[in-house]
Amino acid sequence: MRPMLKITNLTATVGEAAEAKTILNGLTLDVPAGEVHAIMGPNGAGKSTLSYVLTGRSGYEVTGGSATLNGEDILTMAPEARAAKGMFLSFQYPIEIPGVPVMTFVRTAMNAQRKARGEAEISAPDFIKKSRDVAKMLNLDAEMLKRPVNVGFSGGEKKRLEIYQMMMLEPKFLILDETDSGLDIDALKTVADGVNAMRDPSRGMLVITHYQRLLDYIKPDKVHVLAKGQIIKTGGPELALRLEQEGYDGVLGEAA
Amino acid sequence: MTTALRDFIKNPTTAELELVARYGMQPEDARRERAFLAFSETGLPHRRMEAWKWSDFKATLKALETPASASAEDPLPHDGTLVFRFTPTGFSQPKVLPDGLRMVAQPTTQAVGGAEDVPLGALAAALAGGGARPATLTFEITSSDLPRLHFVFDGAGEASFARIVFVIRAGASLTLTESYLGGAGFTAALLEFNLEEGSRLNRTIYQRGGADEALAVTSLVNLAADSEATQTTLAFGAKVARMETRAVHQGTGAKLSLNAAYLSGNGFHADITTNVRHGAPGCVTRQLTKGAVLDGGTGVFQGKFFVPRKTGQHTDADMQHQALLLEDGAQVFAKPELEIYADDVECAHGNTCGALDDAQMFYLRQRGIPETQARAMLTEAFIAEALGMADESVRDVLLAEAQNWLSS
Amino acid sequence: MDCCGGTTEHDEDCDDVKVKDSIDAKTVEAAKALESENYSAGFTTDIEMDMAPKGLSEDTIRYISAAKNEPEWLLEWRLKAYERWLTMEEPSWAMVRYPKIDYQAYYYFAAPKAGAKYASIDDVPKEILDTYEKLGIPLREAEVLLGVEGAVETAAEAREKPRVAVDAVFDSVSVATTFRKELQKAGVIFMSISEAVHEYPELVKKYLGTVVPQSDNFFATLNSAVFSDGTFVYVPKGVRCPMELSTYFRMNAENTGQFERTLIIADESAYVSYLEGCTAPMRDENQLHAAVVELVALDDAEIKYSTVQNWWPGDEDGKGGIFNFVTKRGDCRGDRSKISWTQVETGSAVTWKYPSCILRGDDSVGEFYSIAVTNGRQQADTGTKMIHLGKRTKSRIISKGISAGKSDNTYRGLVSVNRKAEKARNFTQCDSLLIGDRCGAHTIPYIENRCASAQLEHEATTTKLSEDQLFYARQRGIAEEDAVALLVNGFVRDVLQHLPMEFAVEAQSLLKVSLEGSVG
Repeated sequence: MRPMLKITNLTATVGEAAEAKTILNGLTLDVPAGEVHAIMGPNGAGKSTLSYVLTGRSGYEVTGGSATLNGEDILTMAPEARAAKGMFLSFQYPIEIPGVPVMTFVRTAMNAQRKARGEAEISAPDFIKKSRDVAKMLNLDAEMLKRPVNVGFSGGEKKRLEIYQMMMLEPKFLILDETDSGLDIDALKTVADGVNAMRDPSRGMLVITHYQRLLDYIKPDKVHVLAKGQIIKTGGPELALRLEQEGYDGVLGEAA
Repeated sequence: MTTALRDFIKNPTTAELELVARYGMQPEDARRERAFLAFSETGLPHRRMEAWKWSDFKATLKALETPASASAEDPLPHDGTLVFRFTPTGFSQPKVLPDGLRMVAQPTTQAVGGAEDVPLGALAAALAGGGARPATLTFEITSSDLPRLHFVFDGAGEASFARIVFVIRAGASLTLTESYLGGAGFTAALLEFNLEEGSRLNRTIYQRGGADEALAVTSLVNLAADSEATQTTLAFGAKVARMETRAVHQGTGAKLSLNAAYLSGNGFHADITTNVRHGAPGCVTRQLTKGAVLDGGTGVFQGKFFVPRKTGQHTDADMQHQALLLEDGAQVFAKPELEIYADDVECAHGNTCGALDDAQMFYLRQRGIPETQARAMLTEAFIAEALGMADESVRDVLLAEAQNWLSS
Repeated sequence: MDCCGGTTEHDEDCDDVKVKDSIDAKTVEAAKALESENYSAGFTTDIEMDMAPKGLSEDTIRYISAAKNEPEWLLEWRLKAYERWLTMEEPSWAMVRYPKIDYQAYYYFAAPKAGAKYASIDDVPKEILDTYEKLGIPLREAEVLLGVEGAVETAAEAREKPRVAVDAVFDSVSVATTFRKELQKAGVIFMSISEAVHEYPELVKKYLGTVVPQSDNFFATLNSAVFSDGTFVYVPKGVRCPMELSTYFRMNAENTGQFERTLIIADESAYVSYLEGCTAPMRDENQLHAAVVELVALDDAEIKYSTVQNWWPGDEDGKGGIFNFVTKRGDCRGDRSKISWTQVETGSAVTWKYPSCILRGDDSVGEFYSIAVTNGRQQADTGTKMIHLGKRTKSRIISKGISAGKSDNTYRGLVSVNRKAEKARNFTQCDSLLIGDRCGAHTIPYIENRCASAQLEHEATTTKLSEDQLFYARQRGIAEEDAVALLVNGFVRDVLQHLPMEFAVEAQSLLKVSLEGSVG
């Protein structure tokens, strides 16, 4: 079966032309629908770069290789086009948008995506009902959804709001970038419950994390180790445990 | 008349000659002459004058001509309001005025305090009147539950001038809206507000003009003890447009909120200039100006807080100006100024100027919102903050006008 | 200013070991002077002088040029500036008030008798050496070394406490320049500009007046006509200047104007840090100081320029004091070049000064860190201009103004971004502190942005010295004036840390002295 996300020999740089640094250096990775893959790696390995390159943030230039979602080249698409195709990134540091209430923001995003896919807009009552259900599941205060996006939110609230958006927008492919950072155990559980509720045979997930902790709650099908811009080792969930015990140096040393 | 017409302005431009000629047609009046002399000291203000370095009326307004474009539609609702309308040749008013509102239309000019600081305000005072139009229109407000007063300035012509004085008696309050809709080649208006103790003013200004028009709205606001004035401006500019407000805190505990948004497109120039004097102890000023400018557009913000020795003690004043340059070719000039001679004060100002935040743009697009829509959303939210204190009856209209401009 | 030392490898330069004792004695004397009066540099030096005839005319300029034995091209350059100056008007836009200056009442050239430059330090008249010693400026290299003998323990510390080479300008001429030989070894040219005109005419010709053109402004044009002396620095390609360079300006003669001209060029990838200090005697008349400083940084070069300005501010009633009308400008001509201005302004009756950066090279960086203190009846109108022309140019402005007494302190600045200066960045912070209710603090920033991708940010606050903090410190036993100094030091810390260490120490004590009598 064709993998849902297929990354082949991807290279990418960051920075202005003269000072561009290569961060991804021939990265190859397949994630089939229905599977959750974890990407682990030391700081500076290129984990966040991978998430930004896949979602089209400016400042990152793809210099070689390819990435396809359900067979379609996504690298040439605008960020919003990729989102309409179902790519969702849960940001490591969610951005504050002063003056734009959460509900307005998500509804605008949802309708823009639907429009791009040729679907009808969601009705206001349907949207509100859906929002209420999702908020309830994530223990989100309705008041919070009236406030501007991420403005004045705590670290934990911001991460829960990312999951709220994810559950509202129902993307096909999820990238969770260091979703566990800055979360206490209760918040981590809530977030993981939300993510697990999204697991589905038609959906793929890439969980980027530095620590094994998150993987206790979101069980991956496969674990990849990213270092120096490449996947240097792939294994099952046990690989994450080994990394936790032996450290990256131990595992990396063996791979080299 | 004591001064010969030709001697009023040195080396006059065509426009200045036409202004002198218009003055010559007005009835003789010593106060009118003083106002015109204050204007003719400099003639039309120009870039070599510090206060006008970025808004050069002399160079921009070459002659008085009827502009090609008609005046804009008035978006502000008229229902349930008292409408007063100025055109270059006429003036209309409601048939009946409610209790608590008195209006006096005078054929003579009233003296302008500090006229030399506001050359275009002085000009408005000197040239207002004639025909069906009063030289000075004075309102006395003694009630606090009047309907909203709405002033409309529009109509085709070469030039339009108006002078209006408001006296808000102790404890009274006024909700006022003004629509400057262009249509005249040159519009100059001088409005004065005297807020007596504990009185309230909520004022909203909507300005729209053609790319071949010049406009200057000068406002003088005097605040007595414990009075409170809130002013919200939405300006789209013109070939050159200046919205200037000079406010003086005259009694302890006065509070002033000065908010403005300017949206300046190709060929448009919008200037928001303010000067606030904290002439009494313990007064508060909050000022927020937001701007968005497109390719070929210019935005100007000049703000000044003046805090005199002793009388300015315990001043609490904050001034913020934030501008977005939405496209290459946009330009924004700013001068947020503090002049402070009292030590026990809290004064601050801030200025930011640049493009929309890349990170915010990406976040919106990652959620599937197309680039142009994302840009409009962020810009709207940015601008909306400056319109939040406008009277409820017009707030949504202002927002919608800003949105229309941003999405067109 | 504290002396600064080096390592023992320079011991062979030490010709007079006993000097150390005399420095200590003088230091004690200087310290005593600090206690007894606010302005310790206010003494005069009795020495015979050669003076140009009083007043300004073409003849004065010919006299100056002849006295300095200048080449014809420079005389013509001066005369052209003078001709231009005659047509110009004195600027009036600054927030300073002073009586009309009679430009004919000044001497435009004053030099100690017996020649412009002394062959060796031993030929410098004792009175002048004593003057600098009293000011804490070591001119004998040996003293410079001995001053901190034993203090430098490690190589790392030696780097933190670099030695300082000094060019001493006394009224109109440079009297001594230290460490020239060692600098020459590194290829660094450090000498008075009068000497450079003769020794490196091509370099001077190439750069003089290219950053501050002859007709730039009234005072700069006057300077171009009558400039007397000043410092010339050239750091060649790839050279990191091995020590701090410094000029110490001293105005001594009565009714003189000082018109120095400084030109510093950092060639590609070069680095130099330059310090400037100034004092003048207490006199009842207003003395005029109209200097021009030009900096040029080529590709990847960096110039750090620090000033501690302590000209005589006049007495409490505003009598006397220096009119300090200075034009300082740096040109980041090369890509990735950097120019950083740091100033501590405590002196002068009237200051009119805007050290600026023209950010011409792509990715070039301009910085301005300023502390301006005014007390008594001082007036300061100072700030900077950052002109962004190149792509990705960055500038940073941190200004701390402190007003006390009946003084006025104005920050005036311009940030201008050309439409081609893509992704330019500026951050400006201006904080004012008021001590007492008879002074003024003003902030007048001009922001002109013509580039959509530029990001400019400006913040300013004005507050008074916190009585709570003051009480807290005093409750813990700190005397009121010390507590003020402590709080003021906290207020200016962001800027102080950008000064070379030896200057930072001097600056702190200057701040304290300047604010004496400002509370209570």
